[in-house]
Amino acid sequence: MANQQLLTDLRRIVGRGQVETGPVAAATYSYDASLALGEPGTVVFPTDAAQVAAVVKAAAAAGVPCTARGFGTNLSGGSIPARGGVVVCLSRMNRIVSIDPARRCATVQAGLTNLDLQNALAPLGFFYAPDPASQKVSTLGGNIGENSGGPHCLKYGVTSNHVLGMQVVLADGEIVRLGEAAFDPLGLDLRGLFIGSEGTFGIVTEVTVRIMPKSESIITMLAVYDRLGDAARSVAGIIARGIVPATLEMMDSPVINAVEDSIRAGYPRDAAAVLIIEVEGPAAGLKEQAAKIQEVCLANGCRNIREAKDAAERDQLWAGRRGAFGAIARIAPNYLVADCSVPRTRLPEALERVAAIVARYEFKAGNVLHAGDGNLHPLLLFDARNHEHLERVHHAGREIMEACVALGGTITGEHGVGVEKLEAMRLIFNDDDLDFQRSLRRAIDPAERLNPGKVIPAPTRSSGQAGGESGRSPMECGSEATAFAGARTSVPPTAGAALPHSTHSEEKSLLPSDAAEACEMVRAAATSGTALLPVGGGRRAEYGNVSSRELTPLRTDKLTATVEHDPPNQFITVGAGLRWAKLQEILAADRQWLPVRPPLADGCTVGGMVALAACGPERYRFGAVRDRLLGLRFVSGAGRLIAAGGKVVKNVAGYDVTRLIAGSAGTLGLITELTFNVLSIPEVSRAAVARGSLAQVAVAAGELLTSNVEPAFVTVAPDTAGGWRLAVGFEGFETTVKWQIDRCRSVQQRAGLTVADDVNYPVYDGLHAGTFTEIFARPFVLRVDLPPDVVTAFVTQFERVVAGASLLVDLACGRVSAGVDRLADGDWTAVCAAAAKAGGHAILEKAPAEFKQRYDVFGPPRPEWRLIQRIKRETDPHDIFCPGRGPRTNAH
Amino acid sequence: MPIEAHYDEIARCNRCGFCQTACPVFRSTGREAGVARGRIALLRAIIEKRIDWSADLEDPLFACLLCGACTAHCFPALPTADLITDARSDYLDRVGRKPLHRLLFDHLLPYPKRLRLAARAAALGKRTGMSNIAKALGLLRFLGRDFPKAEEIVAQFPAQAFRDKVAPGEFPGRGESLRIGYFVGCGVDIMAPVAAEATLRLLQTVGKTVTVLDNGCCGLPALTYGDRKAARRLAAQNLDLLASHSFDLVVTDCSSCASYLKKYPQLFDEGDRRREQAVAFAAKVRDFVEVAAKAERPRTTSSARVVATYHDPCHASRGQKITKDPRDVLRSLPGVEYRELPEADWCCGGAGSYAMGHYDLARQILERKMANVARTGANLLVTSCPACILQLSYGVRLAKLPVRVCHISELCSPAEAGAVCE
Repeated sequence: MANQQLLTDLRRIVGRGQVETGPVAAATYSYDASLALGEPGTVVFPTDAAQVAAVVKAAAAAGVPCTARGFGTNLSGGSIPARGGVVVCLSRMNRIVSIDPARRCATVQAGLTNLDLQNALAPLGFFYAPDPASQKVSTLGGNIGENSGGPHCLKYGVTSNHVLGMQVVLADGEIVRLGEAAFDPLGLDLRGLFIGSEGTFGIVTEVTVRIMPKSESIITMLAVYDRLGDAARSVAGIIARGIVPATLEMMDSPVINAVEDSIRAGYPRDAAAVLIIEVEGPAAGLKEQAAKIQEVCLANGCRNIREAKDAAERDQLWAGRRGAFGAIARIAPNYLVADCSVPRTRLPEALERVAAIVARYEFKAGNVLHAGDGNLHPLLLFDARNHEHLERVHHAGREIMEACVALGGTITGEHGVGVEKLEAMRLIFNDDDLDFQRSLRRAIDPAERLNPGKVIPAPTRSSGQAGGESGRSPMECGSEATAFAGARTSVPPTAGAALPHSTHSEEKSLLPSDAAEACEMVRAAATSGTALLPVGGGRRAEYGNVSSRELTPLRTDKLTATVEHDPPNQFITVGAGLRWAKLQEILAADRQWLPVRPPLADGCTVGGMVALAACGPERYRFGAVRDRLLGLRFVSGAGRLIAAGGKVVKNVAGYDVTRLIAGSAGTLGLITELTFNVLSIPEVSRAAVARGSLAQVAVAAGELLTSNVEPAFVTVAPDTAGGWRLAVGFEGFETTVKWQIDRCRSVQQRAGLTVADDVNYPVYDGLHAGTFTEIFARPFVLRVDLPPDVVTAFVTQFERVVAGASLLVDLACGRVSAGVDRLADGDWTAVCAAAAKAGGHAILEKAPAEFKQRYDVFGPPRPEWRLIQRIKRETDPHDIFCPGRGPRTNAH
Repeated sequence: MPIEAHYDEIARCNRCGFCQTACPVFRSTGREAGVARGRIALLRAIIEKRIDWSADLEDPLFACLLCGACTAHCFPALPTADLITDARSDYLDRVGRKPLHRLLFDHLLPYPKRLRLAARAAALGKRTGMSNIAKALGLLRFLGRDFPKAEEIVAQFPAQAFRDKVAPGEFPGRGESLRIGYFVGCGVDIMAPVAAEATLRLLQTVGKTVTVLDNGCCGLPALTYGDRKAARRLAAQNLDLLASHSFDLVVTDCSSCASYLKKYPQLFDEGDRRREQAVAFAAKVRDFVEVAAKAERPRTTSSARVVATYHDPCHASRGQKITKDPRDVLRSLPGVEYRELPEADWCCGGAGSYAMGHYDLARQILERKMANVARTGANLLVTSCPACILQLSYGVRLAKLPVRVCHISELCSPAEAGAVCE
């Protein structure tokens, strides 16, 4: 790798002293925290994105790959240079660019450690939710690469739920921004796709993350068990009671003793297992939650359970957990850590199987579990200097993954695939699934210049299949499962709702009765050159830009099966054609619901909802529809049924295709099946309503959203009396809601608002169903996503445009939804420009075809849309799905 | 011991990377070869014959502060500083040894008089601008190319060393029975004579007798540079000196000396008669701070507003696990407001004479320390190691902070406490 020209270039770019080469560099950058080894050629230490971009270009010119590295603490070999080349070490890029509490976001360089960010936020009363146990030494860039979790992701979700935007250097050296301070991106969720891509799509140089006000109160409990199974059963029991603790961590006896040997965390040495359970939130009702948890634990064979009496004791309990991996290191020189996830009720079985495997292979082992997420980390102890042991430990690891997959789980919950789990990818994905993921890699980094040899195993199929989809004719695209019949499938006309758009040929509607038939129809369409429009409820069929081609509706009316409903594990798998209302009805039998209230929910299918990433203002509390999706199946442009994700809450196996498809508006395929993470129905749903001026509303909202109350939504809409009506919704236990409403009232009063009566609203429809119906009844529906602190100012700025509109302003998520009768060309371009300037974007959710002929409904082109085009071309080479619907771009 | 003898210990590094948490060198450079995991990986590669001994290893081995912060964050608690020390010894044997090392360890440090003479010459040079004399003497240049820059670290040598004013011998104290030996560290003697005098005065309030010892260098610098033989010789010399006395306690106000004297037994193999001698000696050694914490506090009547903060010398906090005593002392002083220094136990970059050889790196490390000092708003920065005092004083000058740096003994003795606080 001694490429003299490259060395010269690199030294010029980052400075002579910031390039390392030779035996010391080769030895010290060959490893990370996993067991894998690579062979670095050169190591560079850039300080900004421009340097990273120049390095990537120089390496490309020299024909060698680049591998991004932070602090090198990856546990799957993700940060080792598997195929040599340049290691781009971001350890010096550790600047905090800005922290903006009012905007509830922070922007930092990718090499900053997670803990350094937390330490900077803490004095301001804020925190960043993902908290991997290695937070002292894991960088934000690495957290993005792996989509890291941590103990607190049980309540708050993983990295991809908290990253708003990032600056990325692509494989060709271009610097792009994906996402911004506003919540949801336009077009495909590239940001979501890049998170967890293990540095194979780009090198993240800067990150904008969502920050949250710290909870008012925390109760930390230590539950002690004499039997491992009892601890595991308690975990499922707690979640089943509708309580979402902030953390639910578990350790078994070997780990307990290792921890006690190293730091004395206060765990009883004779216990078979301990749980660290933490609840946090408003003080009101928290004690009751803790009491319920204690009740569940004691009913499940818990020996005793105690609360940490002060911060010092709490820190001590956590120090033990955070140091568990390291503590185990005292027992043997090396460990292999598995990272499987299973549905949490299967934890007892999973632990039994792990124990049996470990015993058979004769390894000492311990278990650390993010039990609430069903994510287990068996640690197998050995000495890597013994090659026979090293080989054996990998076999045992493989068997553990197989066992967990057999229980409905996945091979990696948070550590990533890297190189160590490459082959295990085949346990959960078939060749079609993997081919689809490869096609994404081809779209974004066709020459595999960035971190090659990771995430996706090499194809095993022979006969030229390795070349990928783009080079194949539709005839060759048949999956092994459903051989291509070769003939057009005859399809009966549908009895579904009439479609409004003139280019849809309704009489030719395709109505597959199952996924296999849908695959055949798509392949047939490829042969005949037909363009397809996936249709669910049909009410948003005109979404997006107008297609120049005639579209044949491909309807999901028949795909309505409930495939699997697992109430204790809080997931349900259903056909995409199932109506939203019907899904809620099914869930209601177990007092559960899907906390997503899309506009026009009545009559919408879950497939349509996901395709448009539709949600309401409760997104603030419960996440967007993407955040609630565990997995899905869809028919790709190649006519193959592709599975993505799974049914466990933590899953980082492969690219996040689930997030890519959610919000892709039918442009990448037909969604056939969806798996959602669902919740218990809240005891009460109540809104604190108040009236006043927009300025007063802004003050009240600003204070509420940076305080430690936890509203489900904060919205404002024009009042019939000419003023504005602020609604702050709370959903959950009666005591907690009541206390929060009281606090909310005092904030509203202080801001000078006139307080109205509380409104109890229906849990499914929420408070805004009527408003959305009115908005979507207008010919133009404008949606503007903005940083939350500028929303009211934006509304004021465009008062003239939204005068007389049906309007809903989501203050928490920073979203303006407006239904208007007229939209002047100049107003649309002005809105787009102002939104972009403020750090957001505008989209026309609905507009007359005539208007769409002249304007892109997604606004002026953005540089990153080039990637959207490439993904579309690569995964749907025949442009079967909704040609022209997505964002347009002139850039190539 | 040759590094190969530590193979089992070295294999215990599972590369978790937690040592990166608080390694001042790594946090400045971001380099793997600058942190325990990387250094240990290199030692392992040497043992497994994947890389050869060569000058490439000088920087990874000699740029370590030996501050021990990595061990505090290491779950198997690998003693990286000790491993590096041994590896340096191997390096000197196998790759080479600089002639100036020899001058220092063989000809200056064992002899207090010669050392003072050299320092005097250096001081003269410093004071008269004739630093050529000091350079010619080679006292501060022994570590090579960084010296011209590093020389700035020393603002000014005190005109008189402690030993110039106070001859070795026994002094009466007001204590009831304790016989105390005062081990005068080279650094305190030459750089902080005021602290040494304050120490002597406080010890006199505790001991029945206090004997100012005619000791030589403790040997830590020699060991740090991998010269185990010289280190043993220096230790033996001190043990012989002590053999003719029978003290209850041997106190030193240099935390580095204290920490190292307590480790003397490790220098000698089982069965060596020196080892027994060293064990008996080590049991009597106390850091001045430990004594001060139990002694009566002075009553200052200063009206100045004193906001004090404390920097933990590595050899106090990790070397001897002393962290509470100095804070207790500072909190108990009337008229002094104590504020905790963020990252108080992070190495200041002084690390003995480290800064002399690695000026740029030491300065980056120092900058982080000074940013933390500024954050406290303190006007008095207290510590208990002369190398730290030297480095921190330099830092304060560089950062132009309105902060005075002093040894904790200067606050514990009634005569000086008032003066420091004024």
